[in-house]
Amino acid sequence: MLIPEVGRKKWRVRIILIGITAFLWLGVVLHLFPFYWAMAVSVTPPDDAYKLPPNFFPSHPDFLVYRTIFSHGFTLFMRSPLWVYVKNSFIMTGGIIAIQIPLMALVAYSLSKLISARWNRIVFLFFIGTMFVPGSLTIISRYLLLRYFPFISKGPAKFPTYNFLDSYWAVILPATFSGFSILLFKGFFDTIPNELLNAARLDGASEIGIFRRIVLPLSRPVFSVVCYFTFIGSWNNFLWPLIVLKKDRLMPLSLMIYNLQAKMETSFRPGEEGGISWYASNDALKMGYGYTALMAVAIIEAIPVFLMFIVFREEIMKGVRLRGFK
Amino acid sequence: MRKVLPLTVAKKDKFREGGVKFKRLSIWLFCIPGAVVTLIFGWYPMIWAMVIAFQKFMIIGPSKWIGLGNFSSILQDPILPIVIKNTFYYALLSIGLTFIIPILVAILLMEMSKKTVRIMMWLWFIPLSSMASIVILKWMYNVDYGLLNGILVSFGLPESGWLNDPRIAMLCLVLPGLIMFAPGLIYIATIQAIPKELYENAHLEGASVWQQIWHISLPRLRPVISMMLILAVISNLQIFSQPYIMTGGGPGTATTVFVMEIYSQAFNRYAFGRASALAIILFCIILTLIIIQRKFVKENLDE
Repeated sequence: MLIPEVGRKKWRVRIILIGITAFLWLGVVLHLFPFYWAMAVSVTPPDDAYKLPPNFFPSHPDFLVYRTIFSHGFTLFMRSPLWVYVKNSFIMTGGIIAIQIPLMALVAYSLSKLISARWNRIVFLFFIGTMFVPGSLTIISRYLLLRYFPFISKGPAKFPTYNFLDSYWAVILPATFSGFSILLFKGFFDTIPNELLNAARLDGASEIGIFRRIVLPLSRPVFSVVCYFTFIGSWNNFLWPLIVLKKDRLMPLSLMIYNLQAKMETSFRPGEEGGISWYASNDALKMGYGYTALMAVAIIEAIPVFLMFIVFREEIMKGVRLRGFK
Repeated sequence: MRKVLPLTVAKKDKFREGGVKFKRLSIWLFCIPGAVVTLIFGWYPMIWAMVIAFQKFMIIGPSKWIGLGNFSSILQDPILPIVIKNTFYYALLSIGLTFIIPILVAILLMEMSKKTVRIMMWLWFIPLSSMASIVILKWMYNVDYGLLNGILVSFGLPESGWLNDPRIAMLCLVLPGLIMFAPGLIYIATIQAIPKELYENAHLEGASVWQQIWHISLPRLRPVISMMLILAVISNLQIFSQPYIMTGGGPGTATTVFVMEIYSQAFNRYAFGRASALAIILFCIILTLIIIQRKFVKENLDE
């Protein structure tokens, strides 16, 4: 509180407070406006979508476009129906969460409670060090690794290699480790008192039993926070799927939106008819249908992110403290 | 970093009688799965990234060593200075315009009444999916059908080229960051932990609002700010989605940034060696900046 409660009746202080409030509300409006606009466009009848001046409050909301994209009509725009992309997004995000979070939680737990002080530092650096290397450095070697697994530089000619490209694993595997998650987990596990664990040890509990029966029930908040961050990160992952996925039926929503809008763009350009949009009906894209559908898909893509925030909001508000750094 | 306890204390604390042997085993059990994936998908590609930069990648047969060949051909490429200039321009614009907003908002939010704070925290920090925002904003910028030109026209103003105008294209790319402000919650958590008495005392001594922000709020936020700044520098120098989706690097090369060039060298031209050399140059730039930043921004708060 910069301004104490008592002084708040003075008119000068009041004006400042009103100014601050106005500024904050303006920010909220700016923050939410693009999504409001996308929603407004998505319920506008397609014929009016491009009408100027813009219509901020659609007078006859029309959910036709949602019915179209959820039905088979979506193949008018993209090769596969919408649910395929939604399913892909959930499989990849779910796979990353299901593998990364247990692995990193166990590592962070042993870093925090089990490994002796002598080894702690070097093990810590081994896991955290990857975090400080920019992802763009390893784009190419990761791509080649997935192409010629387990080699990067093709390797001995006779040794068989496995090609992970164009599969869900190509997206999931490189995201199965995360220094950031370890930091968040470790910050929390450090706050669990050792006495609690030692008491259980004296009672003869096994280490895995201790982790499962004592640590896990205590750690709900940190698991939610890490889940949330991992979800947001992998749901909006764009560059990596763009590199490793070429098959349309494997693409996540984020990549599909990109392709959809690229296709719309080319459909406006004369002379590029043979391009990306070769099979789509150009007219459907060019008329309001494409525009309203794109906005509707963007809204659908944003909903899970929003839902995650609602589900985990209490824990996020409480738990966002990066203790591991200090 | 974790406090290093004297060994004997740590032993007494952690390794009670009886469990020692099994515990050693369980450390391995707990760490190995995580260590394996970190090694295979973290360290292994990282080390090879350095190796590939000195090789010429052949479609058939093993790659050839060519020493600094990739670097010299990249350094002679006229695209490099453009890309570096664009990347720094983007990072400066983006950090300069957007970095301070969440801090300011976190400080100002604390002035509101309890009820307002609850609602506003919600509304301010509702996460917006970045992919969706980028696409929506791209269509708001659209020259012929976009909302922004629509508004300009309805006020009788001349239309703007937005993303098609090389002079303002970069500014348009940065604007989505202005309205997305994700990291504010971290600042809020820190500010809420500052004891209220500090402000009350300062006020009794006649300190102005600015003095309170400068001497009480900001010093306590400094460790968080410094960390967020490092993360912001790293992520902004590696920006890809915004320019790739919104402008594709155009008009001309006005918004071609570093990672886009790496991507196009590697996956449009299959010049993996040159792309790796580019990536190493970017890595060195980032590393230098981080080192400089750590030297100049003191993390310790002298109480």
